[in-house]
Amino acid sequence: MAINSSAAEPQQARDSGMMRSFLLRGIVLALVIAAFMRFGNVNIGAIGQGLGYALAGVTVFITFRVLGFVDLTVDGAFPIGGAVCAVLIFGGVRAEIAILAAFVAGSLTGLATALIDIVFKIEGLLASIIVITGAYTVTLHIMGGKSNVPLLGKETMISRHSKDFRNWLVEQFGDQMRRQSTNLLEIMIFGLLVIVILVILYWFLRTEVGLAIRATGKNDQMVRATGLNHHLMIIIGLMVANGLAALAGSMVVQQFGFADVSLGFGLIIRGLAAVIIGEVLLRPRTIGQMLIAAAGGMLVFDISRAWIFSALDLPTTDIQLVSALVVLAALGAPRLFDQWRSYRQRQN
Amino acid sequence: MLRLENVSVTFNAGTPNEVKALQNLSLFVEDGEFITVIGSNGAGKSTLFNVISGAVQADSGRIELDGKDISYSPEFRRSHDIGRVFQDPRLGTCPGLTIRENLSLAAIHGRNVGLRRDVKKAEEAWFFERLQHQHLGLEHRLDADVALLSGGQRQAITLVMATLTKPKLLLLDEHTAALDPNAAEQVVALTTELAEADDLCVVMITHSMQQACELGDRVIMMNRGRIEFEISGEERKNLKPADLIDRFHSLQDGTELSDAQLLS
Repeated sequence: MAINSSAAEPQQARDSGMMRSFLLRGIVLALVIAAFMRFGNVNIGAIGQGLGYALAGVTVFITFRVLGFVDLTVDGAFPIGGAVCAVLIFGGVRAEIAILAAFVAGSLTGLATALIDIVFKIEGLLASIIVITGAYTVTLHIMGGKSNVPLLGKETMISRHSKDFRNWLVEQFGDQMRRQSTNLLEIMIFGLLVIVILVILYWFLRTEVGLAIRATGKNDQMVRATGLNHHLMIIIGLMVANGLAALAGSMVVQQFGFADVSLGFGLIIRGLAAVIIGEVLLRPRTIGQMLIAAAGGMLVFDISRAWIFSALDLPTTDIQLVSALVVLAALGAPRLFDQWRSYRQRQN
Repeated sequence: MLRLENVSVTFNAGTPNEVKALQNLSLFVEDGEFITVIGSNGAGKSTLFNVISGAVQADSGRIELDGKDISYSPEFRRSHDIGRVFQDPRLGTCPGLTIRENLSLAAIHGRNVGLRRDVKKAEEAWFFERLQHQHLGLEHRLDADVALLSGGQRQAITLVMATLTKPKLLLLDEHTAALDPNAAEQVVALTTELAEADDLCVVMITHSMQQACELGDRVIMMNRGRIEFEISGEERKNLKPADLIDRFHSLQDGTELSDAQLLS
């Protein structure tokens, strides 16, 4: 029979094999990073910062990889989320509520891009540039016309516990831990938050809506033929993705202790780099692994950037150039490697 | 079941590239009827399907499915009642998703998506049984990525997906044209089996005169956006591919390149 398939594969065994190799890669990667940080003299603050930005990497994963939608809105959604969060915290609102509000604001930014794409049939790339441009002014207005909102002395998710945590740390491990207490606290709180959100996201992508969103990115014709509105799936997908970007913005604002209108500059490129780094280093196969890889890729990105900074002893003014070069390395290296490999194959 | 009344579609109206893809076309398909549609390239066969499924909106005329006027409803809503299989095996299934996930998506057909689990334990037996009918062994590979399957296997899955929730109408657009002869034969067998099992209303475009003569109850020949002739009843039963090719040729009026000319 022409289209008969071969004997049944031991699916279960393959699944667990895939899971094991993913875990193994993760552990090896974590050890390599730990060694880098130890001997490269990288402050553990880089981990906290990577965790703050991690969800922006997930945003890019959802838009580019899941939805197949070239969306740059993350550059606009991120500072909007930061601004909303900062203004609310400044006004005395609890940080958790401020984070949720930031998520909603980011979703609306994503909604704007989706509607421009669907209603005017302007492709995602242009639609999102239009939205980013407008979002700049929106961010300024949210912050009351100022380009910066400081959170000094206000209660954020970090500062709420920092004093207790520092005292506890010093009591347990001695005075040398005092310097690292804020960094450790950030890693714990943001790490927990990122894990919780990734779990929720995983659940969401494994619902019927999530399945339809995943299918839309691969074959929207089929989604329509199945009787589902693929436009609605793009809308939901972009809203969730950019809500996450704004959530990341609200986390970073609490970390920095201020919101700034230019906070999202170049974030799309960093997110893209995070996704690629995660894919190359962890080779994720299932949707859950891909989510972890995208968030982990952002961590690797921030740590390697911090390492370059400390190794070359660069001033902070160089940060965007270093980012661009790290992104170039992350995007370019796999391609260069492929070219080299096919060259070698032709030689043999 | 399906009724088209004076449906017209013109592309690029008012420009030098104007194409009258459908001209005042009327068609009635009865419950449980299996129709084959033949015609040369550009005759309007695919436009006919697109206008029925809603991918293209009619400029004028009326389309009715099961007594409901669907002339203006969007493509995805019409898909609740219409199953489709395309010529390109890649269009009907979703690569990157497993067979199980593809079938789960097809099972949602006709109702709204919610926050229920994407793949349901309860549906497994159902999928298994539907795939088992095909004798392709795919029921054991429910967790395989669809991208790994051959064109014939993907087309077979598409057929199962399109008929999973018993649509009112099944549109097959040259769904065996891209397959090798063996796979095509199997997919045709599967098509008739599924159509008969659920007594589906089927319209099938084909370029194979043999398929047109062997399958279904009625043959429709399209030319320049119109139905040129129909063959049904006794005449259809005794129809030979050679007869059909003769009638096909007698239609060519010489103003355009005919298929015979192109093929010679």
